[in-house]
Amino acid sequence: MQKRGKPAFPGGVHPTDGADKALSMDAAVRQFWPDTVTILSEQSFGGKCRLLVEPGDSVREGQLIGEPEAFMAAPLHASVTGRVLAVKEVRNQGRSLLACIVQREEEHLEPEADYRKEAADLSALSKEEIRKGLRDGGLTGMGGAGFPTHKKYETDKRIDALLINGAECEPFLTCDYRLMLEEGEALVNGVRLLLKGAGADKAYICIEDNKPKAAENLRRILEEALRSGRMKEEERVEVRVLPTKYPQGGERQLVQAVLGREVPMGGLPADAGVIISNVGTARAAADMLLGGMPLTRRIVTVTGCVKEPGNYLVPVGTSAKELVELCGGVTVKNNRVIAGGPMTGPCAASDWDGESELFYVTKNTSGILVLPDSAWEEQPCIRCGACEGVCPAGLTPYKIDIAFLNEDYDLCEKLYASECIACGSCSYICPARRELSVRTRMARDTVKQRMRERAVKKA
Amino acid sequence: MSQTRILNGPHLRTVRTTQKIMFHVALALVPALLGAVYFFGIRALYLTGLSVAVCVLTEYLWQKLTKKQVTVGDFSAVVTGMLLAFNMPVTAPAWIVVVTSVFSILVVKQMFGGIGNNFANPALMGRLLAMVVWPGAVMQYVAPRTLAADAVSSATVLGAVKTGSEAGYSYLQMFLGETPGALGETSKLLLLAGFGYLCYLGIVNAEAALTYIATVLVLTFVFGPAGLFTGDILLNLFGGGLIIGACFMLTDYAFVTRRGRLLYALTAGVITAGIRIFSIYPEGICFGILTANCLAGGLSLLQKKHIYGTKKGGAAV
Repeated sequence: MQKRGKPAFPGGVHPTDGADKALSMDAAVRQFWPDTVTILSEQSFGGKCRLLVEPGDSVREGQLIGEPEAFMAAPLHASVTGRVLAVKEVRNQGRSLLACIVQREEEHLEPEADYRKEAADLSALSKEEIRKGLRDGGLTGMGGAGFPTHKKYETDKRIDALLINGAECEPFLTCDYRLMLEEGEALVNGVRLLLKGAGADKAYICIEDNKPKAAENLRRILEEALRSGRMKEEERVEVRVLPTKYPQGGERQLVQAVLGREVPMGGLPADAGVIISNVGTARAAADMLLGGMPLTRRIVTVTGCVKEPGNYLVPVGTSAKELVELCGGVTVKNNRVIAGGPMTGPCAASDWDGESELFYVTKNTSGILVLPDSAWEEQPCIRCGACEGVCPAGLTPYKIDIAFLNEDYDLCEKLYASECIACGSCSYICPARRELSVRTRMARDTVKQRMRERAVKKA
Repeated sequence: MSQTRILNGPHLRTVRTTQKIMFHVALALVPALLGAVYFFGIRALYLTGLSVAVCVLTEYLWQKLTKKQVTVGDFSAVVTGMLLAFNMPVTAPAWIVVVTSVFSILVVKQMFGGIGNNFANPALMGRLLAMVVWPGAVMQYVAPRTLAADAVSSATVLGAVKTGSEAGYSYLQMFLGETPGALGETSKLLLLAGFGYLCYLGIVNAEAALTYIATVLVLTFVFGPAGLFTGDILLNLFGGGLIIGACFMLTDYAFVTRRGRLLYALTAGVITAGIRIFSIYPEGICFGILTANCLAGGLSLLQKKHIYGTKKGGAAV
């Protein structure tokens, strides 16, 4: 329970006791450079790029190899130095996507860079240059749907607050935590860059209270940065510790919990004067603008039922199968492999034998999670209201569920199904094991489609 | 619905299932059942077992015959059976217990769509049926065998007071359960122990129960039998079925906001108190809760809900 007067988001669940994160929390990030990478032309859903290379071409790490073709796309870069083996369709999570397969020919050399050790002087960089860098670096959201970062920052709305999302509220995942611990200096420089690029008054680095070391580390780095004089007083960055509660890191919930405002219905955070970026994105901003390296790699947590859970810094296009092998393979036969966290991550395979390819790491792949497979039978709704109590959007999932099953989409709309954030809390809490989240999300999509059709008719 | 493998998230689910909730509720009623055996003899166990067996069997057969999903393993029929027997005096004929059990499960629960879809508490509807059709047989209370070797016909405490007699029992006896009454309702101590267990597990929210009790007590005290502010609070609290009603029968969920829950409990309380004060019935629990059950749909519209991102609260639908 939150104290009165303190902003917080309503509802939410506590899916675990912390033992899940403990699996990989203390595993320092290790680098892994596979022999080949399979770089998907569509890094996030709907973010299609036109590939610029052909088989046989030599590419260098960081070289542009894909031009955006869709609104959701950002420029795509080679993640290793080597030769293009093939450009072909590959299966990835049930879809066929064009991909560029690159054979690595050179060892990766990590350049020594000051921005990773101390505060950088950013006075030479203008807001426009920063925004251009975000675009050229192919930055996308690294925690959620992979929305192109520059599109968020190139807004004509007045932005007063920047939220840097380090909540990592999904159970099991620890990639953001390790980043905040190990790459704090680069991260803080990135936050300052994003603050300037957004033209906001203040940045808040948001961390759940189950990661006190991360908060402490970033606070120390911020103090040192101010003391060095390279970070100016007017660059206001605050570390904000939030209660551990899922989905604390949900974009809309974060705005509510930190600033006490809400993103208006049908709008974007910018409509509430806020931009939200993941901590990984902030670090990528520093890599691009201070190190000249586009977004070509990320930290991935490999955890759950694997022999040795860990956190790996890998190039985009690394095979998930190879990563699981690197961690000693799966430890349960009846398993379920999930791309991302257990609450919102899609299932990539079940009863995986360790042989077939799973999926390829993209810019927004935060984890590879192996769980024991589970099956449950849906029971009738007992009207306990638990789903309603945990819904952070204030919806009534069980009513939407019934309306959707009755194909009563007018009622779905009246019940605000369009405002579902697909966090999965309702399905998690349901004692009757109803697939509320799946169907509420379907109801949301149907309602939104109907709204669009009506808008077209009107016009 | 068949066993489906849904591979959509979330891949984690809470351990609390319908079955576990109902199992714990049944478990929470066991102390009161043991109390009933102590106070009224082994026939209390026999009637409860009979009622549970008939409830479970009726539900199973109905679901099999109508080819519905068989949910009889969820313990809800067990809870209904226990509560139904708890509402009967130990002298109730077995056949009446059987008929009301079938009625509760078949007509009140299954014909309205099964668990979750029944408009009212099946056990209370069963009691109502028995009260209306066989009032003589199901309101034939006897003194506990700890007080009288033979089953001596005796009015309940509230019944006695209603007709102008003395209560005849101390508050402590009422609290412990050494009074005439329905099987499971007499021992407030054991009922509260069970309710405390459910509160501890977080299965029930005590707010509604407390509101209900407080409403009844305040109203019966203010509008007492001898004029304003003359009601006997402890008598109303411990003398009848207020505790079992509040703790085990009122708790119909579906009220998420505190405002909704309190309104619901308040409604049940006002009607219960009204019946105690103005009608010929000494109890009013059954009517109060059933009326609130029926009004629940309307009351839920008065809950103020806020949908994220909307200016005002979204309309309750």
